[in-house]
Amino acid sequence: MIWNTKDITLFFQEQKYIDTAVVPLLPVSFGDQAKQEADQAEFIPLVTALLEKQFKGRMMLLPPFTYFSNESTDLKLQRMKQWSETLKEKGFEHVFLITSDPFWREVEKEISADLIWLPSIPMEHMDGKYKQKIIEDQVSQLLKIVVGKWQTN
Amino acid sequence: MSNQRVSRRQFLNYTLTGVGGFMAAGMLMPMVRFAIDPVLTAEAGGDYISTGTSIDELSDVPTRVDFSYEQKDAWYTSEVTQTAWVYLDENQEVVALNPTCKHLGCTVNWEGRESDPNRFFCPCHNGLYEKSGKNVPGTPPTAPLDMFETRVSDDGILQLGQVVPNTIA
Repeated sequence: MIWNTKDITLFFQEQKYIDTAVVPLLPVSFGDQAKQEADQAEFIPLVTALLEKQFKGRMMLLPPFTYFSNESTDLKLQRMKQWSETLKEKGFEHVFLITSDPFWREVEKEISADLIWLPSIPMEHMDGKYKQKIIEDQVSQLLKIVVGKWQTN
Repeated sequence: MSNQRVSRRQFLNYTLTGVGGFMAAGMLMPMVRFAIDPVLTAEAGGDYISTGTSIDELSDVPTRVDFSYEQKDAWYTSEVTQTAWVYLDENQEVVALNPTCKHLGCTVNWEGRESDPNRFFCPCHNGLYEKSGKNVPGTPPTAPLDMFETRVSDDGILQLGQVVPNTIA
C-alpha cells in the first residue's frame, strides 16, 4: 500500500493483514553533501517503490522521513523514535527504515525498528534499462531480508 | 517572352485567390481534423504491447516476461514495467497470467516456496495458486489470477493486451 487516498481506504478495510510499515529516511542539506543526498533522494524512492510493488498487500509505504543533515543528533533521534514508536502503537509489528545515510548506522541500536542501510548508487548517468536492473538486484536482496523478518515471528 | 499578356487586374485576381485559398485551408484543416479525430483514434483502445520475447523461448514452465509502456498521471509521464508469467498449455496455446495476487495485490512467484512445487506462491500471506491460476482453497486469495490477452505478431514476438478475468481456471 502507498500513502494515497485509494490505498488508505483499502488499508482500513484490511488492517489485520497489514503488519509492516516502510519508511524511507532522506537527508537534506546545501553543503558538500548535497549531491550525495540528492542521489539518495533519487535512489531510495525507486527501491522502496519496487519493494512496495512486490509486497503491496502486507506493507504500507509511508512518505519519507526527511531532516536536515546538520540537525542535532538528539533531535533527529528523538523524532525518529517518535515515528517508530507511533507506528508500533498503531499496530505495525514490523517497521523497516530504509536509508543510505551513514548517520543512522551509528545510532541503529537506539531505534526500535529494523534499519536497512543500502549503499546509494548514483543514477545520474545510467540509462533506463540498466537502472532498472540495478534496482531489481538491490530489491531482491531486500525481499529476502523482509521475508526473513516475517518468518522469525 | 510569352505573348499572353497578363493584365494588372488578372494578376491581382490570381494573387488574391491564391492567398485567400491558403487562408481558408489554414482555417478549415484543423476543423476537419478535429471533426474526424474520433475515427482516427478508435483503434488505440485495444492496444497490444510487444514484450520482446519470442514464442520459441516459451515452454510449459511459467517464465517471467517483463514489458513496459508509458503511463501518464496528470502531467507526469513515467515508464511502467509490468510482469507476466507466461507458459504454453497442452494445446501449445500461450497463457499469460497477471502476477498480482487477488488477495491484496502483492506479486506472486512461480514455485516461490520450496514446499509447494508447481504452484504460484504469494509471500505476503502464503496464498497459493495452481498453474492455471486457480486459487488453492484454504489460502487467503478468493479468486483465480487474472490473465492478459495474448497475441503473437507475424515475426513470432509475444504481445500482451488488456488484463481479463481468468477463463481457464
